[in-house]
Amino acid sequence: MNVENAKAQMRKGILEYCIISILARDDAYATDIINQLKKADLIVVEGTLYPILTRQKNAGLLSYRWEESTQGPPRKYYTITEEGKKFLEELDKSWLELVSAVNSIKNKTLNPN
Amino acid sequence: MKKTVTINLAGQVYNMDEDAYGKLKNYLLAIESHFRKETERKEIISDIEARIAELFAERITPSKSVITITDVNDIIQILGRPEDFGDVEAGQQENTSQGNSYTYRRMYRDPDNRLIGGVCSGIGAYFHMDPLILRILFLIAFFGFGVGIIVYIILWIVLPEANTTAQKLEMRGEPVTIDNIGKTIRDEFNNVKNNMNFSRKKT
Repeated sequence: MNVENAKAQMRKGILEYCIISILARDDAYATDIINQLKKADLIVVEGTLYPILTRQKNAGLLSYRWEESTQGPPRKYYTITEEGKKFLEELDKSWLELVSAVNSIKNKTLNPN
Repeated sequence: MKKTVTINLAGQVYNMDEDAYGKLKNYLLAIESHFRKETERKEIISDIEARIAELFAERITPSKSVITITDVNDIIQILGRPEDFGDVEAGQQENTSQGNSYTYRRMYRDPDNRLIGGVCSGIGAYFHMDPLILRILFLIAFFGFGVGIIVYIILWIVLPEANTTAQKLEMRGEPVTIDNIGKTIRDEFNNVKNNMNFSRKKT
């Protein structure tokens, strides 16, 4: 079992969850999302993000519009759709369940009563 | 002094050093090959190109109007190599088979080993033959029957030139993988380096 591999596997699902969470707060274009993910130490290289955004958009969770930029090419602003909001609710629930599940198991091993 | 190349990236015009251009081109090629199996390939690549254009724009100042190889290296560091993308679908495919690759054989003209149009060297690469034999045969056909030159010109027109690394691998019937593309690019880079050293010594 490779530690890096296990970490990467864990990160993958969480990354998708975090991208949708960022967009639920506010519309954003790829670079905004990248900056937030980088601040949270969730991504190492930016290339990871683009395929996920495109897949989520094609799955109907996100939509986008073009906005002109003063510097560089036009920006693709992503917005969360109704379907995306429902998807996020499900993930929120499942995240809380997972956290409490992990906590309960960890605590049991720490102080077994 | 360096020669520059003008490129259009996501609808923006940039001037790049020639070496920086070569590096960027190969990087985009490797990305394209990485997402080969994705139906959304075009969209992902145009998103990445738009991001590169944005990063370029940040690196252009009134006193520096050309993108250099250092800029391209920085950008590759930021965006990551395709093998570091670690994306879900591609990762699973790599586990099932090392051969995340395809092998086509196609006949091209070989611009690297050409004497005239690269027809003989291209056919030679396709059949794993020494192009010299083909050249002699063509010469005989030319003087002996007079049709050699017509056949040659037709082939010159019909066969496409192998320009990209992927095409050159296809020409030799080698699988098109990132590793192979990388290897070919390294070979080409060394060739260019040797040629440059050679011409520097001469002058």
